[in-house]
Amino acid sequence: MTEQTATTKEEEVLAKLDAFAELPDAPPKRKFRLTWVGYVSTAVVVFWLVICVIGPSIAPFHEMDMDGDDSFLPAGEGEYGHFYLGTDYLSRDTLSRILYGARNTIGISLVATLIAYLLGITLGILAAVKGGWIDMGISRVNDAILALPTIMLGLIVIAALGSSIPVLIGTAAIIYATSVFRIARALGQDIMVQDFVEAAATRGEGVWWIIRAEVLPNAAMPLATDFGLRLVFVVLFISSLSFLGLGVQPPASDWGSMVRENLQGLTYGSYAAIWPALSIASFTIAINLIVDDISAKAGGSLAKKMV
Amino acid sequence: MKDNKSKSELDYKKLTQSDKDLVSKMVAGGFSRRDVLKLSVVTGVSLVAAEQLLTEGKAVRAATPKKGGSVRCASNIHGPNDQLDPTLFTSSIDYMRGRATYNSLIQHADDLTPQPELAVSFEPNSNATEWTFKIREGVTFHDGKKLTADDVVYTMKRHQGEDSTSVIKAVLASVKEWKKSGPMEVKAILESPNADLPVLLGLFQTKIVQEGTTGAGIGTGPFVMESFEPGVKSVHVRNKNYWREGAHLDACEITAITDPVARVNALIAGDMQLVTQVEPKAFRQIEGADGATLLSTPAALQIGICCLKNTAPGNNDDFVKGLQYIQDRERIVKRILKGKGSVGNDTPVSPAHGKDFCSELPQRQYDPDKAKFHFKKSGISTAEIFVAPIQGGIEDICLTAQANCAKIGFDLKLKKVPADGYWGAVWMKEPINVVSWNMRPTANSQMGIQFGPGAAWNDTFWNNERMGELLALSLAETDPAKRHTLFCEMQTLIHEGSGMVIPAFSNINDGIADNVMGVPKVPLGQLGGCEWPEFTWLA
Amino acid sequence: MMTRMVMQRIGIGFATLIVVSIIVFIATSILPGDVAQIVLGQAATPETLAALRAELGLDQPGYIQYFSWLGNMATGDLGISKAGGATISSLIGGRLGNTMMMAGFVALISIPISIALGLWAAMHPGTLLDRLVTFGTLSLISVPEFFIATVAVLILAVELHWLPSTAYMTGDESFVQLMRSLAMPLITLVIVVSAQMIRMTRAGILNVMSSPYIEMAILKGVPRGRIILRHAFFNAIGPIINVIALNLAYLVSGVVIVETIFAYPGLAKLMIDGVQTRDLPLVQACAMIFCGTYVVLILIADVGSILSNPRLRNPK
Repeated sequence: MTEQTATTKEEEVLAKLDAFAELPDAPPKRKFRLTWVGYVSTAVVVFWLVICVIGPSIAPFHEMDMDGDDSFLPAGEGEYGHFYLGTDYLSRDTLSRILYGARNTIGISLVATLIAYLLGITLGILAAVKGGWIDMGISRVNDAILALPTIMLGLIVIAALGSSIPVLIGTAAIIYATSVFRIARALGQDIMVQDFVEAAATRGEGVWWIIRAEVLPNAAMPLATDFGLRLVFVVLFISSLSFLGLGVQPPASDWGSMVRENLQGLTYGSYAAIWPALSIASFTIAINLIVDDISAKAGGSLAKKMV
Repeated sequence: MKDNKSKSELDYKKLTQSDKDLVSKMVAGGFSRRDVLKLSVVTGVSLVAAEQLLTEGKAVRAATPKKGGSVRCASNIHGPNDQLDPTLFTSSIDYMRGRATYNSLIQHADDLTPQPELAVSFEPNSNATEWTFKIREGVTFHDGKKLTADDVVYTMKRHQGEDSTSVIKAVLASVKEWKKSGPMEVKAILESPNADLPVLLGLFQTKIVQEGTTGAGIGTGPFVMESFEPGVKSVHVRNKNYWREGAHLDACEITAITDPVARVNALIAGDMQLVTQVEPKAFRQIEGADGATLLSTPAALQIGICCLKNTAPGNNDDFVKGLQYIQDRERIVKRILKGKGSVGNDTPVSPAHGKDFCSELPQRQYDPDKAKFHFKKSGISTAEIFVAPIQGGIEDICLTAQANCAKIGFDLKLKKVPADGYWGAVWMKEPINVVSWNMRPTANSQMGIQFGPGAAWNDTFWNNERMGELLALSLAETDPAKRHTLFCEMQTLIHEGSGMVIPAFSNINDGIADNVMGVPKVPLGQLGGCEWPEFTWLA
Repeated sequence: MMTRMVMQRIGIGFATLIVVSIIVFIATSILPGDVAQIVLGQAATPETLAALRAELGLDQPGYIQYFSWLGNMATGDLGISKAGGATISSLIGGRLGNTMMMAGFVALISIPISIALGLWAAMHPGTLLDRLVTFGTLSLISVPEFFIATVAVLILAVELHWLPSTAYMTGDESFVQLMRSLAMPLITLVIVVSAQMIRMTRAGILNVMSSPYIEMAILKGVPRGRIILRHAFFNAIGPIINVIALNLAYLVSGVVIVETIFAYPGLAKLMIDGVQTRDLPLVQACAMIFCGTYVVLILIADVGSILSNPRLRNPK
């Protein structure tokens, strides 16, 4: 108990946590060890995140440039420069559009998923800990939103508010917050009935302390792995909206719309639709592989309940 | 059969007549291009020769309509609002069902001249303020009831009156009264002279229905409706009691596939024999496929950008001129419409309208310098166009304009909105929006609908008194030279002063199976103005 | 105790249905345009619009329309489609049957396959098959489903002509012909749905495998296969049933894209069409069906997971 006056509340909690960690039935410590698969996937994700930032500056063409008189050119030398991946249906350079599009596709999805998580976790754990009417009320509204088809909700919101980027982010965030809510609530409930929480409750700890010290640290890893899954869903949701013409608007490039616009080219051997699809797949598969890797190593029965 | 070993290519001329006949017969019997080419390898006939035989064979086939067979047609939209009341027909699938089930008084020939259908004759009085229609005798509805003048008067009256919800109410507004003037004769009394009334009576919505009904699928048409599931499909069988020779097909099914890629795939896979609204992106796919053909009919299908003249920035003439000069018309037709279209000159009249097209009006060209000059003069540096996918190619045209504007330093924004609800919420409301117009049968009605001062669909709110005068004069003018001068003046007025930017006209692009013959070329709608049910046959 | 919980959940389900109907009503009211404008399209004039609106009863204030709808709904009258005049029940009837048929076939094929594959992969972790299954399912859930559908159509229908490219049903075909027409959407949906379920089954079982009592069984020398089939599987049922329920709900209400690409006349596309034509009674009726289905399925899933976790049977 040295330097008591200088110790912050945080450190008190940490000290208690450390003490707990030594007890026999405490939750296991988290370990960060990845296999080679995990490392490769992380490299892929980092690569795309970097492209989000520097993409437009290294692109050989602007995303709007329509050079060349013919569409769906294969990779090679064009009139105005080298098309590394060929051109799309409006004679725009596919490589450049993918580089520009990374920000839209990944950026929108990341922000939307983060917001969904904030919303979902806060409400979910609140509902789990408080129970009663609060739980009832939030759960019902949540169920109502969950029951409605996502595309239909997206369609209505976008038809009413226009399909700008904030609207897309907001819509995706609210729709996917619902699933996060359910999971956070289930997790919270599960943890609430675990022995060590009962022990804390009998000791007289308050609700907020229980959340911060007991529920969150245990739920953190499983929720983090679920984050990866949600991110994939959001990316695919936005691509589906693009398929129906509601997603990111031209001329801004977005991988999902690029697949949609150039689908016809597949029939006569153009790869214009394949490159953006591969980009989406590489990103989402990498995230899922990381998630799989972490959750396998993280240990704890809770983590694995969280598939 | 020639010796297999001699795979050398022979000259077409060196073939014996019997070889040629043999191959011609095979082609007439339905061999596809692939089969004939296979044959050419076996017989040693050169590929060039085989092509020529194929064309000859097709010519042989094209001559005589064969009876029998059934087809499936996929249109591009349908929905739970599919219905059978002609006054509410608004999309291709309605028009086609209408053509199969009902008849109008007048029919359009390929060159848009009016032909008798249920009206055997149509005579005007001396100054075209009264038209007399003699109704055909011996026509019965599908339920056996005879067609009389009462049915015609009842049908026509549905387009009039305060309670009328008819789509073409405004178009037929010049008719003051429809009168039964004999058991099989009807008169139309007009408020002002209109020499073009018969042509208007061939429009899709003028189908004759039984007195007292809203249509309900009982008409006098070449097919009897066997079943109708709104939003899914309709099935029609040949009407054996038709009043003229009638349909060649035994039956047809009409449905819709809304996804354009799926629609084309269905044609190529053989599941559908006719499809409408083929997008330019799919031309290559159809042309490269066996068993399917692209049917591209030149038409005045207008694709345009409206700048409303009653608000900024449309009321600034220099802004409109800038937008007009920045349109790369040749490239639009070549790259976006893939050549299946024609350059527009910022008026709604095209050579497809025939003599009334003013060819003397100089064609506006793509001129980025002039555009830059006009934009600068206007003092406007940014603008926003509301875009919706209401017609194939329209978004890409706006994207091209945006890219070209960026090159001269003008910031043209595009605001994309969904197609549903577009006509109510955006068109004629937002300062700059896109529009497309199906071709109207006469240049006069085409211009009158859009540019008549105070017209209900004057999408640029351009009120020009002289235009109104000219429209009225041209309706009554019969002397060809004087008519031409009037029409030229009207088109010049529109070209110079309205807020309309019309960079191109699109062809009507449909896809048909190779063995589908006889599709008319009426340029008013898909698949021959939706006239195909009665005239199509299978080779 | 269980019946009380079930009754409680059913009551909650009704409450959710009402909430959904209100949300749908508000949402469609804020959309620009109305049915009359959609029906008349580009050819609308103020007079024809007014006349059509009067005919359809759209000139009544919003809440009156809502409550009259609610009243009709309670007596089983779904109303008349404002856009086309057909009765809602006739519009929905056929489509509901189609959707249920497709969902049924997909479930019939994908559930056994998924559970079997998931079990197998869990029983042999780290083998080539397991890695193939993992990577395969991962790839499939990471790619947009319209891409899968399109590639499938291109290969199987357009190139090889093995299957028709759209699910066109004439109504009087034989069973074999019907299966041929439905094959493409069926294949696409089975792929999409199985990928999820296989992953979940495998993960759920592996998760349970680390529990203490399983470790006990392993130490005792019980063969791995028996452990999985007799102990682990039952305990992992909770999340597995949950994912099956969610996927079934998706098959009813979320398959818009597949229905669009294959022109399959199902319920999801009907609802989207209803939204696009602002046909409120149609949208409401569809929303009720989707919501009802979802509530029932989630109820089953919750019962299943509670049954498998004794601690939750007696909530504190």
